[in-house]
Amino acid sequence: MRAIGFSTGAIAPGDVPRALALLGDRGTRAVELSALRLAELDVLLAQIPALDVSAYAHVSVHAPSRFGAADEPRIAEALAAAVPPAWPIVLHPDTIHDPRAWRGLGARLFIENMDRRKASGRTVRELGRIFEALPEASFCFDIGHAHQVDRTMNDAWLLLRELGARLGQVHVSEVAATGRHDPLSRSAVFAFQKVAAWIPATVPLIVESPAGPGEIATQLALAAEALGGAGTC
Amino acid sequence: MNDERSPAATTFERLEAKAERSFPNIAAAQRLTTETLSRLHGLLHREVPSDTSVVVFGSLARGEYTPKSDVDWTLLIDGQADPGHHGAVRAITRALKENDFGEPGPTGVFGNVAVSHTILHQIGGQDDTNKLTTQRILLLLESQAVGITRGPLRGHPSAGRDEALERVIKLVLSRYVEDDRGLLFGSKGDLVPRFLLNDIVRYWRTVTVDFVYKQRDRADGWALRNAKLKMSRKLIFVSGLFTCFALELFGAGEPFRDGAGKPDVFRLVRFLRERIRVRPLEQLAQAALRPAVSPATARALFEEYDAFLGVLSDDEKRAHLKRLTFDDLDRGDALFRDTSRCGRRFQEALNKLFFEDDPELRRLVVEYGVF
Repeated sequence: MRAIGFSTGAIAPGDVPRALALLGDRGTRAVELSALRLAELDVLLAQIPALDVSAYAHVSVHAPSRFGAADEPRIAEALAAAVPPAWPIVLHPDTIHDPRAWRGLGARLFIENMDRRKASGRTVRELGRIFEALPEASFCFDIGHAHQVDRTMNDAWLLLRELGARLGQVHVSEVAATGRHDPLSRSAVFAFQKVAAWIPATVPLIVESPAGPGEIATQLALAAEALGGAGTC
Repeated sequence: MNDERSPAATTFERLEAKAERSFPNIAAAQRLTTETLSRLHGLLHREVPSDTSVVVFGSLARGEYTPKSDVDWTLLIDGQADPGHHGAVRAITRALKENDFGEPGPTGVFGNVAVSHTILHQIGGQDDTNKLTTQRILLLLESQAVGITRGPLRGHPSAGRDEALERVIKLVLSRYVEDDRGLLFGSKGDLVPRFLLNDIVRYWRTVTVDFVYKQRDRADGWALRNAKLKMSRKLIFVSGLFTCFALELFGAGEPFRDGAGKPDVFRLVRFLRERIRVRPLEQLAQAALRPAVSPATARALFEEYDAFLGVLSDDEKRAHLKRLTFDDLDRGDALFRDTSRCGRRFQEALNKLFFEDDPELRRLVVEYGVF
């Protein structure tokens, strides 16, 4: 059964312990610890040893989505040192200034496809250049981003077809034309179902839809409806 | 759409070898198209707002631009409503006028805005007007984005701010394929997208009917419009047929079906998207290069089209056709007789192509092109 869970940033931005507490009794088996803002990274890395994530079969960490070239080596080293080896690290390709800083992570590094706000990293061709520089890296398929880039889901299908062998995780949300992550709607669910067959059941889903405590279960159920598996498992 | 560095050059070279002659007017029009598109990129790159594409149609999109051709264009919007779009249209209109580009025709299909939502969602039904049908079919069969894109293609002469156009084309193609139950669930072995085919046929019949309608409102230019109807407008329709038959004609060996034998929507859409990147004349050339098609047919098709472009490229002849009145035609006009003969021979060559030379083409057009 597919592991489904939430990004902590979607539930309690900047407060991983609170997000874990909100998720704690829902039986989800996947979680992504989010440090999207640079200021959140050191806090999260310091918290990791004390976090109880034993219930999760899949734990990943989302690196900051923006930082300068001067900070890049420090960030890559800090992540490599502080994040347990079994946990993948999700990275936006447009944040990469020097791929060499990230090569040491090998397959633990999950490169995520981007949305239309970004100038690159959105399509197979654009990601191909990234993976040439980071040949061992894995792929985090953001289905919301792919849907925003191409509402027909053709590009999504192509991403899965060409990068399926690297697929390690799927981000799920609905993404507006502005790039904002929105709660899943039924329209998005129907669209995502078109490519569900190309996502192996072993690949965990991480829901990125912003959700208050009362909406978590609904969003998990919609994600499961879109891509298979129970709402929580 | 492809440019001179694409396999199109190879296709035409092979065609000229098969036909045992060259087609200088076609080649000249292709060169002028590339130059003109490059000029337009430079003029308009600052005028293209986000989530829009400036889309040209007509001879510029087909690769058949001649010195007195118009620039038929629209601002295609695929995003939020924005008051700035009106200003963009005015700026583009002004830029084109100040740089002596011919203005689009007066019927209102071009020269303003087109919105993706209506193009996608109003296919068929009472709200699908002539204008919408024309916009939609021409977006598929005869369109090119202008403006300079971001990233590594910036400044590239063939680069376009084409993301909105690309999205809309894929959306419309997906609609045609996903809604076509005959294509996806039918018992026939052929993969012919009949929803799309019927809309292309409807477009062609609309064009021919509107041609007669226009002679009530616009007696001037009838002879030139007549020549274009028999040649370039008809070529659009023919390229539409080739697009719809392409899965059968050019898709041999492609895995269009899944393991259960069901057509794969994504593969079909992707293939059709690549096919409509091929300009109409190149589509005709690819068909003429099929082994069953005789060199004589290939030569006839392109001799007449080359002659047609020769007339359009000649300022005097073009102006003469445009000036002709019905009285002039009743009295007999040598140039009009020549262009009419050109049209007749082009049709005869198309008849040979579709009904005589190539059994597979004949089968497809008989089975799918009539009813």
